[in-house]
Formats: sequence, C-alpha cells, structure tokens
Amino acid sequence: MKVVTGIPVLDDLIDEIPNGKTLTYWINPEVEGDVFAMQTIYTNVEEGLKCAYTTITISPESILAEFEEFGWNVKDFENFEIVDLYSEYVGYPSKYKYSANPLKIDEVCGLLKNVLEEFDVIYIPISSIIDVCGDESISCIESIFKLVKEKGKVLITSFVSWPYPEKIKKIVGDLSNAIVKIGGIHHRVILGYYYGLVKVDWKNVKSKSILFKLVRPGGVRAYIPKILVTGPYNAGKSTFVHAVSNVALSVDRLGTTVALDHGHLEYKGFSIDLFGTPGQERFDPILRMLGKDALGVILVVDSTKPETFPRAKQMLESVTHFGLPYVVAANKQDLSNALSPEEIRKKMYLPEDVPIIPISASKGEGIFKVIDALLDILVGSWKEGENEFEIST
Amino acid sequence: MNMGVQESILPGVSLKKGSNIMIYGPTFAGKAMFTRTMFKKFVKAGYCGIYVLTRESAEQFIDWFGEEYDSNTVKIIDCVTKSMTGDAKDTEAIKRETVMNLTGISAKINKFLEEFWRKGNRNIILVFDSLSTLLMYLNLQTVFRFLHILTGRVKMTGAIAFYIVEEGMHDEKTIVTLKQLFNGMIEFKEENGKKFVRFVSPFTKTDWLEIHVDEGGVIIT
Repeated sequence: MKVVTGIPVLDDLIDEIPNGKTLTYWINPEVEGDVFAMQTIYTNVEEGLKCAYTTITISPESILAEFEEFGWNVKDFENFEIVDLYSEYVGYPSKYKYSANPLKIDEVCGLLKNVLEEFDVIYIPISSIIDVCGDESISCIESIFKLVKEKGKVLITSFVSWPYPEKIKKIVGDLSNAIVKIGGIHHRVILGYYYGLVKVDWKNVKSKSILFKLVRPGGVRAYIPKILVTGPYNAGKSTFVHAVSNVALSVDRLGTTVALDHGHLEYKGFSIDLFGTPGQERFDPILRMLGKDALGVILVVDSTKPETFPRAKQMLESVTHFGLPYVVAANKQDLSNALSPEEIRKKMYLPEDVPIIPISASKGEGIFKVIDALLDILVGSWKEGENEFEIST
Repeated sequence: MNMGVQESILPGVSLKKGSNIMIYGPTFAGKAMFTRTMFKKFVKAGYCGIYVLTRESAEQFIDWFGEEYDSNTVKIIDCVTKSMTGDAKDTEAIKRETVMNLTGISAKINKFLEEFWRKGNRNIILVFDSLSTLLMYLNLQTVFRFLHILTGRVKMTGAIAFYIVEEGMHDEKTIVTLKQLFNGMIEFKEENGKKFVRFVSPFTKTDWLEIHVDEGGVIIT
C-alpha cells in the first residue's frame, strides 16, 4: 500500500509515508490545522485504503459535516470509519462501531490499538487526547507510536503546540518520523499561514515552507505571497526588484515605472512575488489597492535625498494602514553623501524596532538582508537551519 | 449613572489597550448583562467586537442586540449550536464551534482579528462568556494553556478582553490560577436583594457601586 499526505508540494518532497511510520502535523494553536489530517485521510480513503479518523473534542456529526464542507464525502466510503471518543464524554450513547469513554484512558488506549490492527491508516489528535485525558495520557500515546512501527501501519497525528511541558513536546517530536509544522505569519495578528516539512527520517529532503489558504470545497491550497516594494520616485525600487528576483519585469515609460514591477523570488524555501509600485503620487490609488492582500512591505528610500523622506513616509502610511509589517531598504549607500541608517531613522521618525538595512541595489549589496529582515518579522525565528526540529535522514 | 464610554468601564476606571479582565461574581448577580451592555457601548463608540458564546446561540445574542447589530463590526463565535445539532452553517460573521475544541475557538478568534486588522480597525473588544463552561468540560491546565495564548494575543493586538467566571462553581485554586492571567477583575456581589459591582486590580480597588439590572441592560447608580 502507498500512503500519501494529499497535501500540495509535500508529496513531491517525501513521495510517500512508508509503512510503520508516523507523520505529525505540528499546529500553531491559533491556526486552523485540522484540515491537513482530514485531507490526508480523505486522499487515502479515495485510494481504497482502510482509514480511521479519531475525534474527541468535536462530535462525529460535525467532523463528517466538515469533511463534506471541503468536498470530501467520506461517509460514502465503506473503507472509512470514525473512532468516536466524543459522544460518551458528553453523555450521549455513541452510534459508531468504534467508541470509548475518554475519561477511561485504558479503554481509549485499548480501542486505539484494536483500530490500529484493523486499519491501514489511522488518525489520532494527540493534543486533544492530552487536553481531555490529562498529561499522563502521553504514555498511552507513546505505546501507540511504538505499535505503529511493530505492525507496519501508518499513523497520522496532529499536535497543537499549546504551552505543554517540554517533556511532552519532546516525546511527540522524537517519536514522530515526520513532522509538518503549520504556523502563522504574524504581525500583531496572524496575516497568513504556512506549512513546512521540518523532520523526515526516511528521505533526504531540503526544508521548504509553503504558504497556504483553505478553500471550501478544496482544502489546503498552496499560494504565493505578495510583498510590496514601495518608495518615492527614483529611490531604486525597480533596480531592487530586478536585483533580488530570479525573474522580473517592469512596465516603464522613458525609464520610469508607470505600472508595476513584478519579480519572482525562490528564497530559503519561500516562493515570493514582489510587486514594485510606481513612486509618483498619481499612482497612489494602485498602492492602496495592492496593500489590501499583501503580506509585507519593503520601503526603498534614496539615502542621499532626505527631501524625499516625507513622501516615503506618506507612502508607507498608506500601505501600513492595513497593519502590514515593513522594513526599510536604505538604498544608494555606495554614494559618498548617503545618510547612515540611524540618520535616516531620526529624520523619518521611525521606531527603534523597524529594521533599516543599508543596501546598494545597483551593486546588489545588502539586498538579501532586506528579504531576511522581512521574513524574520513574518515567520519569526523559523528559518532554514533554525528549525525547532532538525531535518534528519 | 450610565456606564462609561470607550475604555472607561466604571466611573473612574479606564482600561489600557491590551487589557485582559475577569468578570467574577455569583450567578444572577448581573455579570452577563453588565458585560453585554458594556460590549454594546464599546461597539456604539466605534469598536469592533468579538463575542464568544458558550451558553446561548448566536441568534439569541443577535435578538438581544437588536436593530443596532451590524455583522461588519460584531462577530460571534457560537459554541452552543454545533454541540447540539452538528450541522449548523457558518456565515461571514458567525462561526460555530464545539466548546471543547479550543484550537477551533482560538483559530476563529484570530480570523476575526485578522479581518478587523486588515480593514484598519484597531479598536477591538472581545468577550468570552463564559470560562466556567469551558471548565465544566476541560481541566484547569488545558484551559490555562488556551488562555495563556489568547491573553497574549489580546495584548499584542491592543484589544480589550473580558472573561466571565462564575463564583461558586470552581475551587479556590482554579480562581487563583486564572487570576494570574488577568490585569484586573470586575467583581459582583449580591446583598439584601441589591446588586453591587467594583473593580479590583493590583493598583486600584474601587468602592462597591450599586447596579440595577434588567433585560435591556445595566444602570450604575
């Protein structure tokens, strides 16, 4: 049997989940991540594998309705079963073949082990079991992980990273053969969502982060984030977009951008679209329109022309009105009369925590530090080489 | 005296943005009505609101809110309907969740915060009515972990949040544990058939103020 995740890009990276392995979706508590496991289960149900989906904090009816909302009519398949740990918990008799009272952890453990014997792929929401049954239920989880290996089955789990004791996180992290982290891109609020493979022990793969949206029906859909590159006329926006991108194109008239610069960049596992906005005031309505669904802003300023800073500030305010995080690229640092980043900060009254990166777009100097600074704000410390879990092979 | 406007919650008491406040008192002391009245006043004053319901449905709440209800500015997380019927549909302004699915509740609060934020709204009020229902289904440790994340997010966004807790339903350890997460408490009591309220924080303690509660709202005398 070939078990896959059914998640875009992920299957290209890992090919399949071999028998005897556990894949854990490691979910940020503020992100809707349950759908990943649902998509994995449905994909394998469709392929004819016997799959079981465990629910404990949501009623089986609600789970089935959610599957349906995504366009996955699992209840039409005979090879799909719900493992109901919810009904007895809230005092209703269960109408499902596989059920137990979660307050009796031994009963739950016994049931899950039986299910594991009968099915090819089983899904267990680990953190929900810990939430309901208590931290001590981790020993039951541990024994199930071990049984998966012994019986050659495939276990899909979800672990919502609430502030659990480190010991619990370590057990789940160590026993999972593959971990897919599902997180949020945040700046005060969560502005976007990503997933990435942070551990896999059966294949040598490079870490990759993919931004996603949930589509109903459809499920997880990868998408490319939009970063705005803005700044006053002749600050060097087009030069920056071209210098940093793998491919780029501009709509110019007499050497000045009159529509958009567009660049695409594959960098540190992220696939990024850069949109350079025209600097002239008559194009400001475009600026506001583009700001609505962007994820971040790079403000390019000409370090030799402080007289353009008020216009730069005005442009920044019109896009950051939407709450977007931003970094400042202090361009033309190769010229002798360039102001230093700290002088620019003072003149523009920028807060201390706003990164101002000295660059020379024409010479390609410092340009990737600008991207690094923005990614650092957007996804925090989760960057290549700094993962919570090392990629191991 | 009518209740204050915007960040002022009681005479002489204003809250800073990012505050997490516990609403605590015995059953029928007027906590829920006080909180709703305050929520409505904040919304009228230009705030966007998120109301998490665990004891009645979104439709009942909207009925109470009346004609002033605007789905653009008031979002509801209904943790009742889905537990009962399982097939209730979500709308743009009403999301349904089971009361035990804390990840679902947390994700939905964040979706609404994102929506407000992206529209440029920075004045946000959140009400969680009530934590006692969560504690009926889930242990203190689990609820604490959930609140640890939620109160942190409220601080980050500069919202103001209120969490109702029933007095007499939980042991002292539970209340002491929960209090650690909050900046202050609006406390209720009932004496000789009269209802009173006061505000308590590490820096302030007001006198008890008498309140009158009816279906329409709360008046502080």
